[in-house]
Amino acid sequence: MIVNRLIEKAMRKAQGAQAALGQSESTNVSFEDDKLKSAGAAQSTGMSVKVIVDGKIGSSHTTDIDDVDGVVTRALEAAALGGPAHFEFPGPQEGPDVKVYDDAVPPVTKEEMVRIGEEMMSLVKGYRSDILVSAGAGKSVSKGQFTNSAGTEYTTQTTSFGVGVNGQWVRGTDILLAGHSFGWKKREIDHAAIAGKAIELLKMAENIAPIKSGTMPVIFTPVGVNVLLLALRLGFNGKNVFLGSSPLAGKLGQKIAHETISITDNPLLDYAKSSGKYDGEGVPHQVTPLIEKGVVRNFLYDLDTAGRARAKTTGNGVGCNPTNLVIKEGDTPYEEMMKNTKEGLLVHNVLGLGQGNPISGEFSVNVQLGYKIENGEIVGRVKDIMLAGNTYEALRNIAAVGDKAEWAGGSLLTPPVQIAGLSVVAR
Amino acid sequence: MRERMEKALRKSDAEYTEIRIENVTSSRANFRGEELDNIGSSKTLGGIVRALVKGGWGYATFNDISDLDTRVREACGCARLIGKEESGFAEVEPVVDEITAPLEKDFREISLLEKKSVIEEYNKIILGYHDKIETSNVGYGDSFRKVWYANSEGTYIEDERPDVGVAMSATGREGDNVQQGFESVAGNSGFQVIEGLQKKAEAAAKHAVDLLAAPPVTGGKYTVIINPRLAGVFAHEAFGHLSESDFVYENERMKELMVLGKRLGSDILNIIDDGSIRGLRGTHKYDDEGVKTRKNYLIKDGILVGRLHSRETAAKMGEQPTGNARAIGYQHRPIVRMTNTYIDRGTASFEDMIKDVKLGLYAIDMVGGQTSMEMFTFSAAYGYIVRDGKIAELVRDVVLTGNVFETLMHIDMISDTIEWPPAGGGCGKGGQSPLPVGLGGPCVRIQDVVVGGRQQ
Repeated sequence: MIVNRLIEKAMRKAQGAQAALGQSESTNVSFEDDKLKSAGAAQSTGMSVKVIVDGKIGSSHTTDIDDVDGVVTRALEAAALGGPAHFEFPGPQEGPDVKVYDDAVPPVTKEEMVRIGEEMMSLVKGYRSDILVSAGAGKSVSKGQFTNSAGTEYTTQTTSFGVGVNGQWVRGTDILLAGHSFGWKKREIDHAAIAGKAIELLKMAENIAPIKSGTMPVIFTPVGVNVLLLALRLGFNGKNVFLGSSPLAGKLGQKIAHETISITDNPLLDYAKSSGKYDGEGVPHQVTPLIEKGVVRNFLYDLDTAGRARAKTTGNGVGCNPTNLVIKEGDTPYEEMMKNTKEGLLVHNVLGLGQGNPISGEFSVNVQLGYKIENGEIVGRVKDIMLAGNTYEALRNIAAVGDKAEWAGGSLLTPPVQIAGLSVVAR
Repeated sequence: MRERMEKALRKSDAEYTEIRIENVTSSRANFRGEELDNIGSSKTLGGIVRALVKGGWGYATFNDISDLDTRVREACGCARLIGKEESGFAEVEPVVDEITAPLEKDFREISLLEKKSVIEEYNKIILGYHDKIETSNVGYGDSFRKVWYANSEGTYIEDERPDVGVAMSATGREGDNVQQGFESVAGNSGFQVIEGLQKKAEAAAKHAVDLLAAPPVTGGKYTVIINPRLAGVFAHEAFGHLSESDFVYENERMKELMVLGKRLGSDILNIIDDGSIRGLRGTHKYDDEGVKTRKNYLIKDGILVGRLHSRETAAKMGEQPTGNARAIGYQHRPIVRMTNTYIDRGTASFEDMIKDVKLGLYAIDMVGGQTSMEMFTFSAAYGYIVRDGKIAELVRDVVLTGNVFETLMHIDMISDTIEWPPAGGGCGKGGQSPLPVGLGGPCVRIQDVVVGGRQQ
C-alpha cells in the first residue's frame, strides 16, 4: 500500500509517523428553479503524513499520490519547527463494529437520482405550484488507507447518499425559504417523506403571525436544536477545555443542565454521517457520555490534547470535535409540548448562528424559519425577529424534552426541546 | 498546459466547454495558547471541466489531471443527460492573457521558520497582555494559486492568485465569563501584509479583557452607526446577495420584485460592486468564466440600476455579463458572487452622525453576517452605546438584523470617507466558502435597527 511507502520513507528520519490516503468518487444531480439544471462527477484523492522528529510534530498534505517523496520531505521540514508531541502513535487495537458501507449505494445511477429529484419536486409543486423548487441527490463511494509506525494498519470503504428539496415562495416583498434534506451512509432514504417534511414547513408558514417583544417559551425542532448545540460542540472540545476557553473547564462532575438533559457522542451508530470504526488517528471509536442527567461526564479528546491534559483520548482525533451527537429522549410528546404553550415560538432555522462569541454560550440570531404558537396551535410564521439567550442558562431552564428523537441531518439524533423562556425582540 | 487543455477541449461535443486547472501550494502555522498547535504545508493539484448542452450543465472534477479527454467526455455525458431546452450564454470576446501576481515580498521564498516567528511574537503579545487573558489562537496561512483556464471559444488565461493572512483571537476569562477579541489581516500583495501587526495583537487582547466588564447590549430598536468594516458586511448581506442574478433569472416573481428602476433606498444611497479595484481581496482581472471584472453600480441614488451576472444569467435576462462568476476552487463550478462590495461615500462627518442621537449604538468591526434574501443579520465585534450625542459605555454581543425592503430606506447619513480594512475571512454561498471578498465602506447611520438581546 502507498501508506506503507510513506511510513517507510518518513521513518528514515522520524521516530514516529502516521500516513493516510483517501480516494473518492461522487455523483450528483441538481434541480434549480423547477428545472433539471446540472449533473456532475467528482474524483478526488488526498494523502497526508504526520511525523514526530525529536519530539516535535509536523504534517503535510497533497492531492498527488505520486508525490510520496515531496509530501514526506515537507512533513519532516515542518517537524523541525513543530510543537512538542504529547503522545505516541497508538499500536493496533481492534475497533468496534459499525456499518459504514451500503452495497445499494454504488449502483445508483444518475437517472435514478433525476427521478428522485423529480418526485420530490412534483410533491412540493403539488402542494402549491407557485412555489419555486430546487432539489438534488448525490452519492459517493470512498476508500481509505491508514497506517502508523506503531503497527496500526487498516483500510476503510464507505458510502454516502443524500437528498434534499427546497422551496422558495415569493409573495409581494415576502420571501420564504424552507426545505428539508437528509444524508447518511445508506441508500435507504424515504425521499417522499423528505419532501413531505418540506411541505409541512411551508404549510405552517402560509400566514405571517404578528409578534411582540418579550420573554416566551421556545420549542426547538430537532433541526432547530443546533442553535443550542453550537456552544456545547465548542465547550466539550477537550482542547478548549484544556486551554481554558471553554466555560465547562473544571466542571467535570458538576450539574450544568436540567436533569432531563443527557447527551452522548456516538460514532458507532450504523450508517450515521460521522460513524466509523476508528478516528483519524487510528484510535478505536467509542461512545462517550457528555452530559448525564444534567451532569458533565466527559470531554472529548484526541491523542495530543489528551497527553497535554493528562486525560485519555476519547477517539475524537484530530481536533477533539464531536462525531454524531445523540440527545436522549424525554417524556413529553411533541403534541403535548405544543398544547401546553399558551404563547410561544417554534424555531426551526436561524440566521447568524455562531457569528458572535459562541463559546460563551451566548446566541443572538434572526429566526429565519420559525412559527408563533398561540393557545397550543401554530398560527403562522414569524418574521424580522431576534431570538437571544445563553445556551447554558437555557439548559437549566428546560420546560420539556420530546419523547421521540429524529435525525436532524446525518449526525444529530435529537427530540424537540422546549426552553421555558428566551428573549424575543420584534420590530 | 495550454496545448493539453485545448486538445482535450476538441474532444467535446457540447455547445460550450471549459477546463480550469489549479495548482495550489500553501503553508500554515497556528499557536493555541503557549504551544504551536500545528505547522505544515500542502500541495493541491486539480481541475474541473464544465460543459453546456441544451441549457443543462455537466461537470467533472478531478485530482488526476493525466487524462483530460476522459474528464471532458464525462462532463459532456452529464450535460447531455440534463439538457432539454435552449441554452443561454452571453457572448464575450475571447481573450488570451497571462497574469502574474506582483508580490512585494514573495511568501513562497520565506521560510516556515520566519512565518512561525512572526505569529509567535503576536501570540506572546496577546498572552502577556493581562492576567485575565486565558488563552489565544493565532494562525498564519498562505496560499499561492496558479490557475489555467481554457474554453471552447478560444479563451486561454493563466492567472496567479496569492493570498496571505493572519487571524488572531484572544480569550479573556473571569469565572464563567468568557470573552473573545479578534483581529485579522489578509491580502494578496505579499508577506509584508502580515508583518508589523503588534498593535493588532494588542488590540485583540484589549478587546477580550474590556469585554469581560461590558454588559450584553439590551435588545431593542436603535439608531445604529456602523463603522467601515461593518458597513462592508452590511452592504454584502443586506443587499449584495439579492443582487446576484442566479436568485432572479429563472424566477418571475423575483424579477418583478427586483425590477431595475425600483426604489430600494434613500436618495443618498449608492452601492457598488467592483472586482477591479487594485489590491483588494475580491479583485481579479477576469472572473472564472474568463469575463473581465469591472465596476458595477447596483444602487444609484437609491434606485436599483444593476445586478451581478454570470454569462448564463446575463443572457437569460438580456443584460451584459459583469465578471461575477466565481469559484472558490477547482472542485466547484463558478456561480454568481460578489467581489468588493461597498456603499459609496456620502457627505456627513462622524460627528454629524452621532450629535443628535439620544440613544443609539455605534457598532464596530465585524464577526460575520448571513442572509435569507429578504432578512439578514450582521454581527459586530463590539459596540458602544451612544447617549445624548456622545459615545458612552462598551457593550458586547451586538447582533443586528434587518429586512432589505425596509432597512436600506432607513439609511439617513453616510460619512465622507471610505476605508478598506485589510481583514481576512470570506463569503459563503452554495457550499462554496470562504471566497475572498473585499469588505469596506464609509460609516453609515441607519434608523430603527432591531438589535437582539435580553430586554430590561
